[in-house]
Amino acid sequence: MSQSPQPETETVSWVKIASADALKAPRPVAPVTAFGLKLVLFRDEEGELGLIGRYCPHRGADLCYGRHENNGIRCPFHGWHFDRTGQCTEQPAEPEDSTMYKAIKLPSFSVVEHEGDILAWAGDGTPPPLAG
Amino acid sequence: MITQKLNDQITRIGPDTSAGAVHRHYWQPAALTDEIAGQDAPMLPVNLLGERLVMLRDDTGALVLKTREASADEAPTHHPAREDIRLVEGGATYPVVEKNGICFAYMGPGEPPAFPNFDCFRAPDSHVFAFKGLWECNWLQALEIGIDPGHASFLHRFLQDEDPEDSYGKQFRDKAANTDMPMTQVLREYPRPDIEVDETAFGLKITALRHMENDLTHVRVTNQIFPSAICIPMSREMIITQWHVPVDDENCYWYTMFTSFDKPVNKELMREQRLKEHSLPDYAPLKNRSNHYHYNPEEQKSLTYTGMGMDINVHDQWAVESMGAIQDRTREHLGRGDAAIVRYRLMLRKAIKAVETGKLERLPMQDRQETPQIVGPLSNDAIADSDDWLAASVSADMERRRAAPWDATV
Repeated sequence: MSQSPQPETETVSWVKIASADALKAPRPVAPVTAFGLKLVLFRDEEGELGLIGRYCPHRGADLCYGRHENNGIRCPFHGWHFDRTGQCTEQPAEPEDSTMYKAIKLPSFSVVEHEGDILAWAGDGTPPPLAG
Repeated sequence: MITQKLNDQITRIGPDTSAGAVHRHYWQPAALTDEIAGQDAPMLPVNLLGERLVMLRDDTGALVLKTREASADEAPTHHPAREDIRLVEGGATYPVVEKNGICFAYMGPGEPPAFPNFDCFRAPDSHVFAFKGLWECNWLQALEIGIDPGHASFLHRFLQDEDPEDSYGKQFRDKAANTDMPMTQVLREYPRPDIEVDETAFGLKITALRHMENDLTHVRVTNQIFPSAICIPMSREMIITQWHVPVDDENCYWYTMFTSFDKPVNKELMREQRLKEHSLPDYAPLKNRSNHYHYNPEEQKSLTYTGMGMDINVHDQWAVESMGAIQDRTREHLGRGDAAIVRYRLMLRKAIKAVETGKLERLPMQDRQETPQIVGPLSNDAIADSDDWLAASVSADMERRRAAPWDATV
């Protein structure tokens, strides 16, 4: 993904991107705009949070309408599946021998739930400690 | 991925654009006959290829499009009342020809091209039903979903199959070819078609091969008709010929001619099925971005792949509108399943070059002698022994054509 969208600014601290209530529905998936990017926030089946690019890197369909399954988000257009790191894990319409999915990764951000808020961090390396 | 410059070149269609110049060498659906039905002196607003027009009858009684006055900020599908329409003096006048329910306009230079002798034009009026609908996105992404045979296995997946006996007038609900398998089951169980693309006199022939058990292959042949149409099977009885016509850079209409090889089309039923999903006068779908296409997460779990109901038109509309007004192709990653899209873009770029260099004979279907000889195209589903799929596909089509009550011979 040589042309992945990059955040407009690197933040040095965690920022609130949503209230934890945003993921209280039976299908824990929500659109979020953060760091100048349109993103999709979700909780996977292991209970971990994911914050990844909102538009499928295949042809640009909106993953906020994705199928919440198989421990990630699946694009309804051609079934491309993404885990919480933004890595594409399946391309079920491509030929069986295709390994293209390995090279497809959406931008993703560190994200935690903290005192009723969902916080994200847009830096590289080890995230800073949570405040409070 | 392509550059922004190339994306602009192949998507934008205003009067002074490269792709717009290509479109202007072809007849474009401008309105449904339904929209002027029963009117002796129609004044129908038409918004087409970035131009603000009105369809009316000239002194000889022939339908024409004329430029109307418009303010810069009017809505893309603005439909002024008759008394508010003002023609631009000395503005363009474009010829219009009515064919089986659609009024086609020619907005280009010189003599208009001839019409090909496709089934939708050859069949009698009783066997063709036409309808249209608005999609709020660029025409090219609307076309590209129609030349992408793989998406039907996902986007249109039903987690349960309907009874094919209730399928009249709906896509993919019939039985597949000569089997008892609903088409929806074939699509669901065989999601990785091999795709073959061949250039033809009218555009592209696209063959999707789904290799099934017992050495059988499901063969689905669809077509791209240059520049903005597709021709695909709908059921064993009917085919769909569908144009994706630019309103402006960020909106388009689909115009469909449903053509029956067997019984006359039940137009009342098909019109009623579709009017129920659209608002007039602009044929805007009732399910749309503003109401999230009636997306229902529960339904997405148990019944449909999208959670947006059983109407596959809505699934397509969501897919193409969700990409944004003009899909950002600088971020796309095409796979082998996108073979026809890749080939189509090459064809469009060649056509752009041909128009720019004045070599119009290189555009498909511009020869006035040869174009009326173009028949078909073959557009059907068949299931055959895997080593015999080509012959099976042709013979299934020939059988349907031989039995047709109108001259469908090819």
